[in-house]
Amino acid sequence: MKEFLSHLFIPKESNNHRAKILHHTNLFLTIVFLLLASVLIQKIKVSFPSVLGIKADISSEELLSLTNKERQNVGIGSLIFNEKLSEAASKKAQDMFEYNYWAHNSPTGKTPWVFIKSSGYKYVYAGENLARGFTTPEDVIKAWMTSSAGHRENMLSSNYQDVGFAVKIGELNGEETVLIVEELGNLNVPIVRGKVETVATAENTNTLHKNVQAVHKQPLINTSSLSSNIYYVFILVFIFALMLDMIIIEKKKVMRFVGHNIDHILYLLLVLILIGIWGKGVIV
Amino acid sequence: MLKRISEHTIYYASLIIILSLSFLLAYSSSDRSFQIGVIVATTFFYVLWGIMHHLMNHDLNMKIVIEYILIGAFGLTIIFFLLSVNGNY
Repeated sequence: MKEFLSHLFIPKESNNHRAKILHHTNLFLTIVFLLLASVLIQKIKVSFPSVLGIKADISSEELLSLTNKERQNVGIGSLIFNEKLSEAASKKAQDMFEYNYWAHNSPTGKTPWVFIKSSGYKYVYAGENLARGFTTPEDVIKAWMTSSAGHRENMLSSNYQDVGFAVKIGELNGEETVLIVEELGNLNVPIVRGKVETVATAENTNTLHKNVQAVHKQPLINTSSLSSNIYYVFILVFIFALMLDMIIIEKKKVMRFVGHNIDHILYLLLVLILIGIWGKGVIV
Repeated sequence: MLKRISEHTIYYASLIIILSLSFLLAYSSSDRSFQIGVIVATTFFYVLWGIMHHLMNHDLNMKIVIEYILIGAFGLTIIFFLLSVNGNY
């Protein structure tokens, strides 16, 4: 075992002074393995959803609570849970699954306002935030709050008084995913700070529990963390092998014609960071 | 390693700048197609830049070209399949 690992990671005569794991054949086999592993994960996900699937634990209640916490942090009044907006959000999520799209405007030209109006909410101001693939409410709120594409502005805008959420699980492009829709609105013209907060407390607790939208899916193995961990391990192993190979060759001063390990390490570090960010979910 | 970096400062500086820029572009956008476009373009740049550098140093051979392509393919495979498996594509 020790000899095998040494052959795999340490450049020496037996592996032609290049860690065996970095040889072309092994790189190619790793790519093939990852492709097969992904296909296998997909197959198991479809055939045994209770064993392998997306683990999600998100409710409207938690989303509202976290949103209001963020608003309180910047001194803006809390949002009131609105059933009509919640219905609009639900219709929007359903429409995205039905017509297989992921955007504010549908391929047939339907804007978010169509769903809000059809639910009977006669808004003066309205806005929409979308998120997909997240598994916890904290991650959703964090993604919206750190977004520079208007999500944060929507969440913290004093133009809105009401909010409705939809959290739905379904298939987009043949992949199981969790959609989170947040519809924001206001029936009145400009809000006076502080006044909203008074109204919010009373209505909030009354209406929210009547129409709580939530997704609590707990498969045995969570595909999201399983795939992220597999990819993390592979990238870290390759970065480790590249570093070790580079240090040992520098020490031994062996002359060889291979690519620059530093280039590969820098590129793989970028991939590693992106996995960390994109593995959690996406907003639009 | 440090000697190599100091001998090829412009090369490594430009590589780090492009990779950082790529990260910033991918991070600041919420458009998944754009993000994927950025990482694909960055991978092409990384492969081409590596090959060009070896060409300028007169030590380019087919094995090096294949190595850069395989590492690029490895990175892209991971990104695509992570997004696909997680339903975030």
